[in-house]
Amino acid sequence: MAQDSILEVEGLTKTFHTKNGVVNAVKGISFNVERGEVFGFLGANGAGKSTTIGMITTQLLPDAGRIVVGGQDLTKNTAEIRRNIGVVAQHNNLERRLTAMENLYFHGRYFAMSKAEIKEKSEDLLQRFGLWERRNDYVGSYSGGMAQRLKIARAMLHDPKILFLDEPTTGLDPNYRQILWDEMLEMNKNGTTIFLTTHYMEEVEHFCSHVAIMKQGSILARGTVQELEEKTGTHSLNDVFLVLTDHDGVDDRKSANGRE
Amino acid sequence: MTEAQRTRTAFFAMVHRDLLVQWRDRWEFVFRVAMLPFILILTYGFMLPRVGILPESFPTHMFCGMVGMSMVITGIHGTAVPTSMDFHNLREIEDRLLAPVSTRTVTIAKMTVGVLESFIGGLIVLPISLIFMGSSISLELAPHGVLLLILVLILTALLSAALGLLVGTIVKPSQVAAMFPGFLMPVVFLGGIFYTWKQLSPLPVMQVVTLIDPLTWVNEALRAVMTVQVESLPLALTIPGIIVWIAVPGFFAFRRFDRMVYSH
Repeated sequence: MAQDSILEVEGLTKTFHTKNGVVNAVKGISFNVERGEVFGFLGANGAGKSTTIGMITTQLLPDAGRIVVGGQDLTKNTAEIRRNIGVVAQHNNLERRLTAMENLYFHGRYFAMSKAEIKEKSEDLLQRFGLWERRNDYVGSYSGGMAQRLKIARAMLHDPKILFLDEPTTGLDPNYRQILWDEMLEMNKNGTTIFLTTHYMEEVEHFCSHVAIMKQGSILARGTVQELEEKTGTHSLNDVFLVLTDHDGVDDRKSANGRE
Repeated sequence: MTEAQRTRTAFFAMVHRDLLVQWRDRWEFVFRVAMLPFILILTYGFMLPRVGILPESFPTHMFCGMVGMSMVITGIHGTAVPTSMDFHNLREIEDRLLAPVSTRTVTIAKMTVGVLESFIGGLIVLPISLIFMGSSISLELAPHGVLLLILVLILTALLSAALGLLVGTIVKPSQVAAMFPGFLMPVVFLGGIFYTWKQLSPLPVMQVVTLIDPLTWVNEALRAVMTVQVESLPLALTIPGIIVWIAVPGFFAFRRFDRMVYSH
């Protein structure tokens, strides 16, 4: 593994036992992410991306394998790893009966931030993400796009060293997609590593320095967009994706018979 | 800031969060907690003794049972329903589970809120009891009664939170509606609210059955402290009994909570 890796994954495996049988969601994958890069993690629905992120972000227990985040082994230093990561889930896991300010306040306190620091950063983030006017409304009344922006603001609040975003721009209008990318690139410029999954290939082409493509629990290819294009003899990431995944429009989860 | 201070800050924030959410639904909470004791006290503590169907001393029997029931049911409900909703429907707990603290901190914060709600449940019974049964209740405290009462109340609140956490990790939100007839009703009516355990001696099988109910142990302990003139099981038996009812469900609740954290 490279010495400046912020994330090292080795032989990561996860199997789910469902009513319909055993699902090998992640099959012994290995990869690493360099400090300070924007890393794109691609795959069709059901390929195992979210399961992989779940394990890396301490939300799922791997069956086998090793995860090292910022030099800390995940099984030994879970709390320390959580302090250094920010996680934006695909689904809405905001506190709906709390306001945006309260969501950020409690998140900051979970990370032992001072009240003054939380207030200052919350005001800044809510203004940057266009939520300032609705800061005192219950989050349950937010639209999908507003909730998505707040989730991202919340994940950024404690200045994580690595930010995991699971399809962060889904549901955002082009304006806020641009705002989000500006914010993420700003964070990235300041040293935060970005790890994201997305279905928008043009975002990956523009912003990601490295890419990994996953299918049915395995990583098919890794490298820069240019390397992958050369390897597959194609001229766009979209074509790379289609060639590598042999995509027929059917979700991986149908063939994998289970969860992503 | 030390690790212990960080954990303490996160813990109090988690408790604060739950209490704030509960405060937003405070009238629904009061209605939910007060309604069952109100109806039972009105019927069994006021109407039936007044018309002669039950003896005039009955409210004294019943008062301890009402306090015990209200605390246990409120604590179970206050821990179980949010836990179940958090994991299955809303998934709001995820932000707390991603906090840089152990899962145990999140679990204990949930139980702490259950304990506090349980105390509130006990307090709500007092004015209702005083209004409808005040003149008929005869309390005779045991020696060191206040200290023993505090001990029994704390243990009762812990019991309710442990049971609530266990139930919350078993029951899915779609099954919450069935929780009342399927679990809470048997706990209430077999828990010795209207009778003491000794009074069931003509029905030895029922005596054994009611011992499976945690509320029996709580109510017998409360009677032994607050109404010594009423024959009840000795505290030397009921206090260890309550502790067992904290430890066993608590052990399984913690295990199930850990499992839920990594599988929800």
